[in-house]
Amino acid sequence: MRGVPHWSEELPVQMKTDTNAISTHRLVKRYGKLTALHGIDLRVGEGQFVGLLGPNGAGKTTTINILSGLSNKTSGDVSLFGYDVIKSYRECRRRVGLVPQEFNFDLFAKVRKILQFQGGYFGIGKAECSRRALALMEQFDLTEKQNTPARYLSGGMKRRLMIARALMHAPRLLILDEPTAGVDVDLRRSLWSFLGEVNKSGTTILLTTHYIEEAEALCDHIAIINQGRIIDQDTTQNMSNRLSHESIVVTASRKISGEAIRSLADLDPQSGADGHALTLTFHRDTVPYESVLQRVLASGIGVANIQPADNRLEQVFLHLTKSGNQQ
Amino acid sequence: MTRRFEFIGLRTLLGREIHRFLRLPNQTLLPPIITASLYIVIFGFALSKRISPVEGISYELYIIPGLIMMSIISASFGNTSSSVFSARFQGFIQELLVSPMSNFEIVLAIILGGVVRGIVVGALVTVTCIFLADVPIHHPGPIILFAVSVATIFSCAGFISAMWAQDFDRLSVFQNYVLTPLTYLGGVFFSVNWLDPFWQNIAKVNPILYFVNGLRYGFLGVSDVNLWGAAGFAIVAAVGIFFLCYHLFRIGYNIKT
Repeated sequence: MRGVPHWSEELPVQMKTDTNAISTHRLVKRYGKLTALHGIDLRVGEGQFVGLLGPNGAGKTTTINILSGLSNKTSGDVSLFGYDVIKSYRECRRRVGLVPQEFNFDLFAKVRKILQFQGGYFGIGKAECSRRALALMEQFDLTEKQNTPARYLSGGMKRRLMIARALMHAPRLLILDEPTAGVDVDLRRSLWSFLGEVNKSGTTILLTTHYIEEAEALCDHIAIINQGRIIDQDTTQNMSNRLSHESIVVTASRKISGEAIRSLADLDPQSGADGHALTLTFHRDTVPYESVLQRVLASGIGVANIQPADNRLEQVFLHLTKSGNQQ
Repeated sequence: MTRRFEFIGLRTLLGREIHRFLRLPNQTLLPPIITASLYIVIFGFALSKRISPVEGISYELYIIPGLIMMSIISASFGNTSSSVFSARFQGFIQELLVSPMSNFEIVLAIILGGVVRGIVVGALVTVTCIFLADVPIHHPGPIILFAVSVATIFSCAGFISAMWAQDFDRLSVFQNYVLTPLTYLGGVFFSVNWLDPFWQNIAKVNPILYFVNGLRYGFLGVSDVNLWGAAGFAIVAAVGIFFLCYHLFRIGYNIKT
């Protein structure tokens, strides 16, 4: 994939005093007796790259659907760039590009047509639609497939087409619902890189994902949703720093002796099944990382490798969603 | 400033609807011509010698307006029902729901797509009938009025059917159990005056009887029903059912949660 669309700045920009790209206040969604969203307050500033994380059924897709116009809210306020999503739906939708989780294009339509139609729905003239479609097909390596019906594309190509389609009208807010679900590692990395560029060019991005490392790598802010409630919202850095304890895994080149383990007793050593690995946990505010390393080396363990025990953000996520479930 | 009407979006969606049926002529345009030709050959040429003229008009000519009306009904209904159901089934109706187009513009474009197909097919069948049976055109005004209003009514009916259906089986319910019987019992192949009084009263509840006779008046100058009543009914029904479609789409019936 190549650089970001270059026509973004050509679109008329109407600024409102509210600089939040997304703002929800007490957003409630009910399906019959089931309440999917319990009064969500979500703020996403312009230009941010925000990850919306949560377990299955937490309300991520419901939130996204309400923001993009696919679902009706039950109550509460929702605005995009200061415009109410119901009263000023045209203004909102012109600014939003949606990449849903499921493929949702006409499988019998050709790639080029799908992009051109999308531009037309957003009020872009024929010539400009053609120009943008060509540029996006080039950008997403779909040029050779421009006259191919969508049903003949591979899964990766379909995913790229979904993103290209969402960018046809140069949205100021890009919403992606699990964009890398089921794609191979190469494409995932390529998408990460591309989305980073899109964000740097000024586009606000809201991303839902099950891959915590994806959120950690891409997002500057994280909102965690569970059981229809936003239970935390902070910068990715602050959230990762939330845990006061640190765990590392030491892998030894030979079996770790009982004496070595006893010498590290205050670091809560947990031996691995084969006796070659040891997990150590310490409070990082009181035990400096450097002293832990010095003690490990002094214990006589033949160190082959040292690495963090878990993804930190994942630990925070599990901690928050677990405590939410227990309430 | 927000535009009150998005012409580009409307034009794009209408263009897509038209492009949809034009790219499949073997499914959408040619079969009605073949069907109408077969009816003319079998019922007209073969049987007309055994059937007395109706109100001074040969049987082969008498059935032609009904055949044209059948093709308009079938084409306009089929266009919207397949288009909307495919869009729901494959999920690409979401392309429209997230666009800045209004519900009214979306519904109007889809319905117009069905109307265009109905009129195009009706025109092709008419040309075929003129070629095969030298059918006259007595009053072009009623022909246009009834063709457009009936295409609108059944384009809307296809739209509603597709919004309601949850699977392919249900999609065929309206066509098989409502549309086809009403069409065949709507005076395409007979005059209601041939029926006993009881069955005449039953037949007069069938709206298609009025549409067929309206078109018949336009082509042949004869009708079993009051023309003004039929025209008024067609216009009111077209407007009414269009706004029903708009209402269903606006509330997100089976398309929004």
